[in-house]
Amino acid sequence: MKDRFIVLVEDNADDAYLATRVIGKVCSDKVIVARDGEEASDLLLKMARDGAHAKIRLVLLDLKLPKMSGIEVLQQIRDDKALCNLPVAILTSSDNDLDQERCRELGILDYMYKPMTADRLQRVLGPGKDV
Amino acid sequence: MAAGPPKGSDRIPTPARYREVSLLYVEDEAEARGMVSKMLSLNYPNLKVYPADNGVSGVALYRQHLPDIVMTDINMPIMDGIQMARAIKEINPEALIIAVTAHSDTAYLLNAIQIGIHHYVLKPVNYEELFAALDRIMEQLALRQLVDEQNRLISESERQLAVAQRIAHLGSWQWDLVAQRMCWSDELYRICGLEPGAVPASYAALLDRVHPKDREALRKGVDHALECRGPLEPQYCRLVRPDGSTRVLRVEATVVCSEVNEPLTVIGSMLDVTDLKRAEEEIRLLSEALERRVLQRTSLLQASLRELEHFSYVVSHDLRAPVARLEGFCRALIEDCSDCSNAACRGYAERAERVVRQIKSIIGAFNDLSHYARCSMVIGEVDLSAIVRRIGADFLLTEPGRQVDFVIAERIVVQGDARLLKIALEHLIGNAWKFSSKKERARIEFGSFEKEGNRVYFVKDNGAGFDMKYVGKLFKPFQTIHSPGEFTWNGTAIGLATVQSIVLRHGGRIWAEGEVDRGATFYFTLEREPEPGSYLRAL
Repeated sequence: MKDRFIVLVEDNADDAYLATRVIGKVCSDKVIVARDGEEASDLLLKMARDGAHAKIRLVLLDLKLPKMSGIEVLQQIRDDKALCNLPVAILTSSDNDLDQERCRELGILDYMYKPMTADRLQRVLGPGKDV
Repeated sequence: MAAGPPKGSDRIPTPARYREVSLLYVEDEAEARGMVSKMLSLNYPNLKVYPADNGVSGVALYRQHLPDIVMTDINMPIMDGIQMARAIKEINPEALIIAVTAHSDTAYLLNAIQIGIHHYVLKPVNYEELFAALDRIMEQLALRQLVDEQNRLISESERQLAVAQRIAHLGSWQWDLVAQRMCWSDELYRICGLEPGAVPASYAALLDRVHPKDREALRKGVDHALECRGPLEPQYCRLVRPDGSTRVLRVEATVVCSEVNEPLTVIGSMLDVTDLKRAEEEIRLLSEALERRVLQRTSLLQASLRELEHFSYVVSHDLRAPVARLEGFCRALIEDCSDCSNAACRGYAERAERVVRQIKSIIGAFNDLSHYARCSMVIGEVDLSAIVRRIGADFLLTEPGRQVDFVIAERIVVQGDARLLKIALEHLIGNAWKFSSKKERARIEFGSFEKEGNRVYFVKDNGAGFDMKYVGKLFKPFQTIHSPGEFTWNGTAIGLATVQSIVLRHGGRIWAEGEVDRGATFYFTLEREPEPGSYLRAL
């Protein structure tokens, strides 16, 4: 499928750079970066209104975010009629067991620790052939 | 003359047998005096006879010896018996006097009775009559002695009671309900701040002395006791002395009833417990102050623990992100610069990545350490022997080629957190396993012994040991006394720090002894009843 997006929710520019770099190694999907939870929420809701959300291949979500936490964003996604089936993977440096448990309850593809490796991302994206 | 003398000694009442009785015998006729004296001493072996030949010498002897009995002739020269008896009665109005006389006219006898001569024996002396009179007198004497002795005992015990009451600050009272009369012991007066007998004792007077706020309760207590004929349950009341000072009393009483269960008397005690109460109050204040201080210290401790907690949070979480970033860039360098012509470039990147891994493992160790120090403990019975056996078996499986003898004492059971104690023992046994790896035949021992009332547990090996000069470094985190590579190094050195943290949380102590190449022994103690939970409330 062409014109697909990966939405990267990441407040740190270095981390965003590193993640984008690894994504680039695995696929040629366009990466849209949201800098905080609120921005991610607004973006996703707008895409849902425009019907663009179907093009989202994956949401890579950091947990520690300004304004709105990753878990809150995830919760909102799962609560939204249009977005509820969106594939989401967590990319974090926190090893909080409770957070991980909560995310798994809400439904995620993977819980990854930074730095993300290409192999791990490939597994998350699945065998779906690129381009 | 006299009939055969009866055996007088048989008729003497008991107490007189044990005490010598003395008798003044006054008779002017020498023959009669000698004869009677002899008969008396023959029949009354305990009788001491003082003979005299007239009234004057009789009085002199009486004054000298104060004999128990006086036996006298009446008609004598110089001073007759009547005069002498009068003189003796002046010395001792209680003197027992027997008149031996030929007179039998009534006027004379009345005179004798007036003086206080209660016994007389007619002359010529009939011994049976004399002994009968003497026996009566001796009986009287014995009784008097008995009464004196009883009185002495009573006054002795009264004195003792008074002294005991005074020492114990215990006053007593007795309330005769029928006669509506009350009496207070001397000590009760003193407790009330009064001289004994200073005021008439009555129930109303007693209640008057009680503090107005306590009066009703005491009255009710006594009424209740009277109603149910039971004892007055001990109760405390304050008593106000005339000088205004207050004493605290513990009052107890018991009701004595008639055969038809009518209350007759109330007997009560009042114990002055002012000093006790004061001491109690002092102890209460002291323990309150102590408790406040403990609370203060605890909150201080909690504050600093919270700071530490925050610090470890910062290390474990906030540091994790930049370290992960660094790792990401190192990896990017290695991947993207693989074709770099400068070989050093890639080498540096690889070294940097190793450094990052090291930092990560230190952060992990740090996290573990602070976790063991603050996690909540669940206390239960823990069989250390069983845990050590399992750990040993696991080690033997990992390196089946090694010859290691485990010597494990049976049934060492303690109170503690099973999970934490297992981690501590894993570190201790792990160390013993690791540092005895160069021994052909290693020996690892787990046991315990009693020392100064405490149970000491130990893990002993015959491995590499250590130089005692490094003993201070053993339990410090991130410090090693063996060089990396000397033994399989696990990356961080927090094993013993972890063990120490766990032992400390169990209220125990840990120490070590070792000698280079002669093995090491780690000793630890555990509190009998370790406190469960955590020192930290949730952040």
